[in-house]
Amino acid sequence: MKPSMGERVYLVGVYSVLTIVGLLCLLPLMHIASISTSSLQAVSAGRVTLFPVEMTFAAYTQLFENSPVVSAFNNSVAITLVGVVLSMGFTILAAYPLTRAYFLGRRLFMMGIVFTMLFNGGLIPTYLTIRNLELINTYWALWLPGLVSVFNMLVLRTFIENIPGEIDEASRMDGCGEWRYLLQVVLPLSMPVIATLALFYGVGYWNSFFSVLMYINEPDKYNIAVLVQQLIQSQMMLAQMNGLESSEQLNLSPDMVNSAAIIIMVLPLLFVYPLLQKYFVRGVMIGAVKG
Amino acid sequence: MFVPIIAFFVIFKYVPMGGAVIAFKKYNMMDGILHSPWVGFDNFRLLFSTPTPIQIIRNTLMLSLLSIVIGFPFPIILAILLNEVRRMWFKRMVQTLVYLPHFFSWIIVSGMIVTIFSQQNGIVSGWWESITGHTYPFLYREGSWLAIFVGSGIWKEAGFSAIIYLAALTSIDPALYEAASIDGASKWKQIRHVTLPGLQVTIVLMLILSMGRVMEVGFDQIYMLQNSTVSDVSEVISTYIYKVGLMGSQFSLTAAIGLFESLVGFVLVLITNAIARRFGHGLW
Repeated sequence: MKPSMGERVYLVGVYSVLTIVGLLCLLPLMHIASISTSSLQAVSAGRVTLFPVEMTFAAYTQLFENSPVVSAFNNSVAITLVGVVLSMGFTILAAYPLTRAYFLGRRLFMMGIVFTMLFNGGLIPTYLTIRNLELINTYWALWLPGLVSVFNMLVLRTFIENIPGEIDEASRMDGCGEWRYLLQVVLPLSMPVIATLALFYGVGYWNSFFSVLMYINEPDKYNIAVLVQQLIQSQMMLAQMNGLESSEQLNLSPDMVNSAAIIIMVLPLLFVYPLLQKYFVRGVMIGAVKG
Repeated sequence: MFVPIIAFFVIFKYVPMGGAVIAFKKYNMMDGILHSPWVGFDNFRLLFSTPTPIQIIRNTLMLSLLSIVIGFPFPIILAILLNEVRRMWFKRMVQTLVYLPHFFSWIIVSGMIVTIFSQQNGIVSGWWESITGHTYPFLYREGSWLAIFVGSGIWKEAGFSAIIYLAALTSIDPALYEAASIDGASKWKQIRHVTLPGLQVTIVLMLILSMGRVMEVGFDQIYMLQNSTVSDVSEVISTYIYKVGLMGSQFSLTAAIGLFESLVGFVLVLITNAIARRFGHGLW
């Protein structure tokens, strides 16, 4: 069937709106990347839009030489890697038993867990609990309180529930125990969901800011997020107080340093994102259909 | 196998819930939560007799309602538009781009905003100046701050929220569209009479979930974007609890506000769910 005139106009509209929306998501990032690699003169004159003008990496060398960026970056990597392994392990341990029909008290535990999604003790009691456990200034304070995300757990549970019961029966016949069934049958089959959830946990830990601000007081334990935040705020104050005198000598402006810091924080995400994108769309949909 | 999980939920979820009794006590370090003296509802009375907390609760409600009301339709529209696209490479490309901001933290997004809207040499100020002839402090005026607040929320999350609607759209029977098109329904009419009813359940569900979050506007976004000039509209419960409660050690008083926040949120979910259930779309 040949599309009518009206339909053609309609489709052109759809495609152009989506193109604009897509570009809107990309352009700010390009702008920031260009600012971080343009010369001071070009940035202050406002000549930088989407591509670097008079390219230089001064802002990056400055960041890597004179600040704790490198160690904060390493801290972030450590927090993320350990956090993902811990969270994923515990999410699996929570989701799998809840799919077993013969697990006594299953409904009760389920209700108890979902309730924590709707109601919580609040910030202050949580903080005091962590403090009483003497976890302040340790990364355990970052890993433990958010160890299992109920939502992620529900997604994984739904997926495991949909594994055909015949597979279960067959492996039992062959003498497969509970652990072996989980490790050698359920987990390999759940790889797409596990990859998705690992990405979500990973991004969460990489971006963690508030918990670090709350529980970590020693600056050398800060992660990259807190460091970038402090940088942005101090640069803002610097710009207000004494013009740009001190950084002018370095051929840098606060905007350039901020932008470079932002890019440093974004880059790892940009590397992982394309690898896992095909999984997370499916993963989220599994959770969504169940609701 | 399940024991560590029970331990986790008890220690990190239910113990803090019990710890919420701190709101009814006059907390001091020496006695700890359990042995500090009871003061009944004194903290709540104190809370609601001073103007600051009331204004903060009002701000919290206003900011989150504003983001929900304005932001809610965007993912739906985006999903419907994406659903119309037949060229897979184009669809996939747009999807890749619109999901991306979801993975940036508010530190990153607000860093971008500060740079883009900065009065000295931000790109937006540059355009503004070339049009109107003078600069404008976008982040330091209440009106434009609110616009940036709501807009940045939409920019960051609308694309990702669309995934859920896209999932719901795949379950609509294509035969319905064929039938409608044979009956002479225009594209617009097909969206109104086939697509939207097909999305109805999901829309109601998302509305319930967002209502439950009315009392919490994300800490990171507000904390990073706010400044003293706009504190009249930008101070919210979470930032207040952090500044006054944690930094100023006013544990009992701010725990009272926190408990109030949790309770109202919980009640809102129950109410919205009850309403939704009346229409047959309840969450439980």
